[in-house]
Order: sequence, then C-alpha cells, then structure tokens
Amino acid sequence: MTAAEASIASADAVQFLGKETAYWRLRIKGAALLMLTLGLYRFWFATDVRRFLWCNTEIAGDTLEYTGIATELLVGFLLAIAILVPLYTTFAIGALELTARAPIVVVAGLITVALLGEFALYRARRYRLTRTVFRGVQFDQHGAAWRYALYALLWWSLAVVTLGLAYPWAQASLQRFKMERTCYGDLAGAFAGTGVALFLRGLPLWLAVVGPIVFAFFALGALIDWNTLNTAVTQGDQATLAFIETSSGFRRGVGIAFLCGAIAALAAVLLYPLFQAISLRWWISGLRFGDVAVRSRLKTGQVYRVYLRFLLYIFLLMLATALAGGICLFAVSELVGPRHDSTLAELLATIITVGLYVVIALGASTVHQVVVTFSLWRLGLQSAEVTGAEALNSVRAAGAPSSALGEGLADALGVGGI
Amino acid sequence: MTITLDTSPPIMPDSEPALPCGPAIYFDGTCSARHEVQVEAARTGLRIIARRPLGRVLDEWDYADLRRMSAPDGVLRLSRCGETLLARLEIRDPDLTNAIEDRAETLDRGGAGERRLRRKIVALSFAACVSLLVTAVYGVPALTTRLVPFVPVSVERKLGEAVNRNVYAALDSQHLGSAFICGRDTGELEGRAALDKLVGKLAAAAELPVALRVDVVRRAEPNAVALPGGRIYVDQGLIDQAQAPDELAGVLAHEMGHVAARDGTRVVLQTAGLSFLFGMMLGDFVGGGAVVIAAKTVLKSSYSRRVESAADAYSVALMQKAGGDPHALGRILARIVVGKRHGLAILRDHPETKDRIAAINAVDVSTPPAPLLDATEWNALKQICAPLPPKDASGGKVK
Repeated sequence: MTAAEASIASADAVQFLGKETAYWRLRIKGAALLMLTLGLYRFWFATDVRRFLWCNTEIAGDTLEYTGIATELLVGFLLAIAILVPLYTTFAIGALELTARAPIVVVAGLITVALLGEFALYRARRYRLTRTVFRGVQFDQHGAAWRYALYALLWWSLAVVTLGLAYPWAQASLQRFKMERTCYGDLAGAFAGTGVALFLRGLPLWLAVVGPIVFAFFALGALIDWNTLNTAVTQGDQATLAFIETSSGFRRGVGIAFLCGAIAALAAVLLYPLFQAISLRWWISGLRFGDVAVRSRLKTGQVYRVYLRFLLYIFLLMLATALAGGICLFAVSELVGPRHDSTLAELLATIITVGLYVVIALGASTVHQVVVTFSLWRLGLQSAEVTGAEALNSVRAAGAPSSALGEGLADALGVGGI
Repeated sequence: MTITLDTSPPIMPDSEPALPCGPAIYFDGTCSARHEVQVEAARTGLRIIARRPLGRVLDEWDYADLRRMSAPDGVLRLSRCGETLLARLEIRDPDLTNAIEDRAETLDRGGAGERRLRRKIVALSFAACVSLLVTAVYGVPALTTRLVPFVPVSVERKLGEAVNRNVYAALDSQHLGSAFICGRDTGELEGRAALDKLVGKLAAAAELPVALRVDVVRRAEPNAVALPGGRIYVDQGLIDQAQAPDELAGVLAHEMGHVAARDGTRVVLQTAGLSFLFGMMLGDFVGGGAVVIAAKTVLKSSYSRRVESAADAYSVALMQKAGGDPHALGRILARIVVGKRHGLAILRDHPETKDRIAAINAVDVSTPPAPLLDATEWNALKQICAPLPPKDASGGKVK
C-alpha cells in the first residue's frame, strides 16, 4: 500500500493547499484591472480564480485542474449577446406594438429571462465540470438544460408561494437533478440529501424569521378596526389622522407589527451563518460518486467566525475609503477651489464620488469573496470525510468539453457562481 | 514488497546514465489510475518509464508538444497536445523541473509569456473602453441625428403613444384623470380657442411634418414638454407666469423645435445606443452599475444641452417668421429661473440660463413685433384652467 492510498480512509483525504494571502493578491489585482477595463477583464479574472481554487483542491492525494481558457468565456459571452440582443429587441417591439397588452408582454419577457437564467446556470455548470480534470479524467454533465430550467422555475415559484417552506424540497430535488446527471469519467454522481432532513434542521430558523412576520399580520388583523379605517381613508387625510390618533388598537397593532418586524430582521441577521452552515453541511454530506461518499464535519462556530471576520474587514474597508475619499475631495477643492462653478471641478468631484462608490462596492465584494466564499470553500473541503475513495483509482475516461454558451448567458444575465 | 515514493532510490536506466531524471506521477488520460514513474529528460523529449515493473517505457513526449497546466505551488504539471489531451505528468522534483524547462521552450518559464499576454489584454481592453467612451460622446449623437430622418412618422406616432401613457401618468401625480387637461369645461372653452389660435399661427409658420396636439395640464410647475409624435404638454404654472402671449408663444415655439427636429425619437435612439454600449459590453462587475449610471447621466445631459440650444434657435427663427417677438422667450426664461438653485452643471439637461438668454437676445429684430394674440384672447387663455370644483372629500385637495 502506498502512502497516498493509506491516507484515503482518513479525514484529511480532502484538503485545500492554497494560502489566503495568495488569494488576496489574486483578488485585489483582479479588482483593480476590472476597474481599469470597466469589466472587460472579467473573463481572464474568472479563469485565474478558478485555476487557483481548483489546483489547490486536493482529493486523496491529487489535485483538481481547471482547463478552461478565458477566450472561451469571451466567445460564450459574445454568443449570449447575439442571442439576447434580438430577444430584448423583440420584447421591446412587442411592448410597443401590443400597447394594450404591454403588461402581458413584460411578464412573458420576465419569465423568459428567468428561464434563460436557470438554463444558463445549468449549462455553465456543465462548462465548469467538463473543464475539471482529476487524475487525467474529466468530469461531465448531461441532460437537457431546458428541462432543468423549467423544473427549477416551478420549484422556486413553489418555494416563494409557500413562504420558503418548500425550499428544502426544491433544493433537494434540483441537487438530485444536477448530481444524477453528473459523472466523473464512468463514475456516476448522485445526491443523497433529502428535503425532509434539511426541512427539520431549517424549521427552527424559519419559525424564528417568518414566525414573527406571520404573527404581525394576525396582530394587525385582530387589533385594527379595518372597516372604520377604510371609511376614514375614503374621507380624506384629516379623518385618517383622527382615526389614527383616537384608535388605541391601531397604535398597538402597528407597534406590535414593528416589534415583530425588528425581531424577524434581527433573527435573520443572527441566524444567517447558521443557515449557511446547515445548508453547506447538508449539501456536502449528500454528494456521491459511485461508491464514494462524503460526510461533512463542518462546525457552526467556524462559520460564525467567518462572518464576524467579514464584518470586521468591511468596517476597516469603510474607514479606509472614507479617509482616502475625504483627502481626495479636499485636495480637489483646494486645487480648483476659488472657481466654484468650474466644470472641471464638478467633473473631478463626480469622478471621485463614483470612484469611491466603486472602490467600496468592489472592495466589499472582494472582501466577501476572500473572507466568506474562499473561507467557506476551504472549511467545506477540510471538514469533508470521504469513504470509498478507492473507487477513484480505476475510473475510465469519458466525455468531451462543452461550449461556454451557458457561461456567457449567465454572465450577460448577471447570474452564475464562481 | 512495498516501495513508498519518498524513500525509493532513483532508478537509473543503464543505457543513458548521464540524462537528468527523477520520480513523477503519470496519468494516462484513459483511466484514473495513478502511475508512479521515472521520467528521463532525453534529447528530443521526455521518456516516461514504469517503476513497477522496472524499465518498461510507457510513453515518450516530445518537448515541442509539452504544455504547462495549472498546478499547486511546487508542482510542474505537464500535458501533451495531441491525441490524448488529458494525459498528465506531475513532477515535484525541482532539479528535474529545471532540466525540463531548460529543454522545452513551450513551457514559458517563470510565466513571462503569460504576463506579456495579460498586459496586452489589459491594454487592449482599456483601449476598447476609451474607444467606446469616445463613441458614446461623439458617435451616438452623430449617428442618431442621421438615423432620425429615416424613422417613419407612423413609427414615431406609435412611439409617442407609448411614451405618452407613461408621461401622462407621471405628470398627473394627483390622479385627476381626464380633469388633468384644461380647456374642456364650458368655462374654459374660450381659453382653449385662444390657445388653438396661437398654436395655429405658429404651426402655419412652422410647417411641421406631424400634426401638433397641444394641451394645458393642471400642474403648478412653470414648464412644458414635447413628446415624440407632436404632442406638447404645457403646465398651468407656465401660463400663470407668462405676462404676454409672445412669451408663451416663445416657449411653444421652443417645444415645436423639439418636434420639428424629432428630438423625442432621437432621445429614444440615444438611450438605446447608450444602453447597448454600456449595459451590454461594459460595466459588468460589482459597483460597475454606478459607473454606467453616472456615465449615462452625464452623457445624456450633454446631448440634451446641445438639443436645447438648437430648440432655442428654432424658437427665435419661428417667432420672427410668425411676426411675434423672438426675445419674449428670454424674458420668461429669466422670470422662471430667478431664485431657482441648480445642481451640478455637468448634470444639467439645459444650458446655463444666462447663456441661453444672451444667445436669444443676440438675434436682431428687424420688423417691430406684433403680439400674436389680442388682450381679450390672452385673458381667456390665462383662464384656460378654471379652478376645479371640490367634488368629494378625496378629490378636494387641488389648489
């Protein structure tokens, strides 16, 4: 038995080798170039990021490899533009021509875009999988993206209608759809996570966040005399104000509603990391490839530490940008000071303000990418226990690279992952 | 017997003992099996030799075919372009890595070639940005000016109807519905007739390609707006502020200038052009939205300032042709703008008022102007918006 084989059964079968400082460098450089090129650099940036994340992910002694090329993404984007521009034009003309039915055209357009978004996500996943090589064998994904798009749209609509109660089953079903069509060579993927398991873990969170809101609605319904309020509103502002001043039920109802809203918002913020931990654990533990099974030992405390660190870094970023922006604006007002109406000063001030906004937005995104996304990626990998990894030793190669159309569509529509 | 990777002695084949060699991991691209191999840097290529059983040559890779693939630090991961795309050779031995990089030129030692390529991409992207910006500043207005004459009047009218629905809803902020338009009630009909006469005089002189529809609406702002397709809304506030018929006529002529130049259609085309340039091609990154909105706003304001100056010139010429006072526009502009504070000049959609008035007054009046309406007509027009009767509790807030 070799050293590599001996380590398979143990908990550190999956590791992440990359240093956070290297990822910071990569992200900051990329963000600066994005600003300089107004976003055109994003194809090369995304490719660099994926190369780094993939090649530092080690499974059973060997690392993944991302074989995608930036120009493929650029071509995919141009393809997507070629599809979307006529589509948008058609909807614009449709809304102009069918003036009476313009809302229908708009709704049809929104549904089409939502479908295209899910379509793009599925195809983009296929692109990434077919560009992922492990031990000289690539991953693959088959199945019709349109079916997935339709399926996903129905599930997400159901999740919205049920105020999120159907979310676990939507996730489980869509993950199953994706993983059952995923394979590594001739090793077929599967997903073992169930909706019930996620539902049971998530239910207390749902009660803490949605419960107060539902309670608020009941309180408003019970405490306020809606008939009197309606008549007061139809009588004008004075009558409405008088009603508000005299009705103690109204004030109590609104007070309770505000309190409930605040509790719900606080619960949502405080419980978000817990939700992330539960979801991530559930998802990782559900992944299967043939006899290879994964189990996540991710600790909730680790995820909370990640988010606390994020808050700290965001605070520091704000402080630094405010300081730098103040100095810049002061310098401009000193240099072009006496001529207050000069167009140059205004243009400079506008550029600085917009620039500051971009620095804050892009900076916050960079901090989030490194401190949250990267950390969760690393924690997810390090906490994973793999059993049956011997099956990875004799996988036959299969599949071929797919086109980057999905990536392009996802980019043009503003959806998509890493 | 168990041989681990770290402790095994390097295996030197007998035939070419001087060649650099070392341990590596080989994946053949057809199966995920991990092969521990010995790699030998021969003269023309790499020789991949099995370690168990010792000595069997598994493959030979020419240096010219070698490609460096992404790998963690300290690992040289090679692929070979050719039939087996996914076959990989992973080398951790630094001496062997050096020897291979010495021999294979395609490997881009130190990544200098890649960095050069990246610099070129960044430079080209930056140039593309500058080019798109220049196109937005000069190309889009130039192109739309040339495109507008080719838009059929029927399309413009349809566009006008679509725009009108939104504009009407936005202007009618108090939801007056049909009562929003003045000159329909019995007490207002004389004012309507006076307005029609004034518009008729101007339209006869202007010879516009589309039929005008001018309405006065119950809004306190001293303003007027022209939509694509020949529709003009004059706010009640403007009628209240006007002290002579020619002042109102000057504003009407300015708006008719927008209709004649088909500026409404032009704005739609310009907006579409800018959205395409900025929304689709550029600005697709976090925070990029702000850059796009700021750039679009500044550019649109600059287009609009040019168009407004042209409409002022049109108004002056039209008033002269109709026999009215071309300088009256300047007087009402001065009155309206007094005491109003403006924001940034680069975001203003009209030129500086004193510049506009100066430009208007720069034109000589050759023949002494005659008012376009007589005193009775002007009085009637001033009362085109009769006070609304307080209908019920909810509708009683007007005026």
